[in-house]
Amino acid sequence: MASDTDYDSDGMRGNGDGGLSEGNGRRRKHPFMTWRNNLRALVVDNARTCRIMESGLLDAYGVEVEAVGTGEAAVELIASGETFDLIVLEMFLPFMSGPETARTIREMGISCKILGIAPMYCEKDAQEFLAAGIDEFLEKPFTPELFIPFLMEIDNQK
Amino acid sequence: MDGVAQLQKQLVDFTDSLFQEGFLDEQFNQLQQLQDESNPDFVVEVVSLFFEDSERLLNELAKALEQKTIDFRKVDAHVHQFKGSSSSIGAQRVQKVCIAFRNYCEEQNIEGVKPWHRCLKCLQQVKLEYSLVKNKLETLFKIEKQLIAAGGSIPT
Repeated sequence: MASDTDYDSDGMRGNGDGGLSEGNGRRRKHPFMTWRNNLRALVVDNARTCRIMESGLLDAYGVEVEAVGTGEAAVELIASGETFDLIVLEMFLPFMSGPETARTIREMGISCKILGIAPMYCEKDAQEFLAAGIDEFLEKPFTPELFIPFLMEIDNQK
Repeated sequence: MDGVAQLQKQLVDFTDSLFQEGFLDEQFNQLQQLQDESNPDFVVEVVSLFFEDSERLLNELAKALEQKTIDFRKVDAHVHQFKGSSSSIGAQRVQKVCIAFRNYCEEQNIEGVKPWHRCLKCLQQVKLEYSLVKNKLETLFKIEKQLIAAGGSIPT
């Protein structure tokens, strides 16, 4: 059910939305939380408002974030050797879908936590996405309440 | 009460009303918290992007519903995305009508009801809620601008 009206799905990192922080290396000076380890996250979402909020919130909570707009860009980034502790992956991506992206990432041997996200919760979508290799299926918005427990788990296990 | 204090009160009261009337939810607070000295216009910038994306989505929706044969999958995808982006900035009432819209579009087999007709009604609702929240947010930003121009600062 990918939307073929793509908003910022050109796969470029950041897309340069007038200086808005989309992570991509920039770190907030005074994060709301600090961690024992350096935590890195990859946000994969073609909807730019969502992507900016997801990146911005993770950054605010002390995570180093990279953000891309397509599954292809995510796979390329990982293939280039970039490693992440957490991947936040939208289900309805325009070309390579969320589930296809998850499957590809898992086939590459990546075992980090993948949180699948979608605008609305649907049992069928959740089953499909989980079967593709994500660890949890979450309904947007992607809030600190939702992600902090996962960050804590990841930080404790590192 | 001096000018700055008056504007601050106006801002607080107006913001409170937006939450009370359900236009905004907690996610808007999250958005505001992301604004700081290094990103002083973050809220206005993100909301402006939201307005741009929303207007594009609404145009696409209108176009999709004008087709002789409506592609309900396309309509559904647009509404789905609109629900996602409106939830990301805390536009609660827009989210709710998007959810209702999706439910209507899914009920394509109800006897005697033309789905496109219901979808058009839903689109009207979404357009209405979107223009309401757009107006409200533009007013909010106007008050903030006046407050800053008067030498005040936005209360956290």
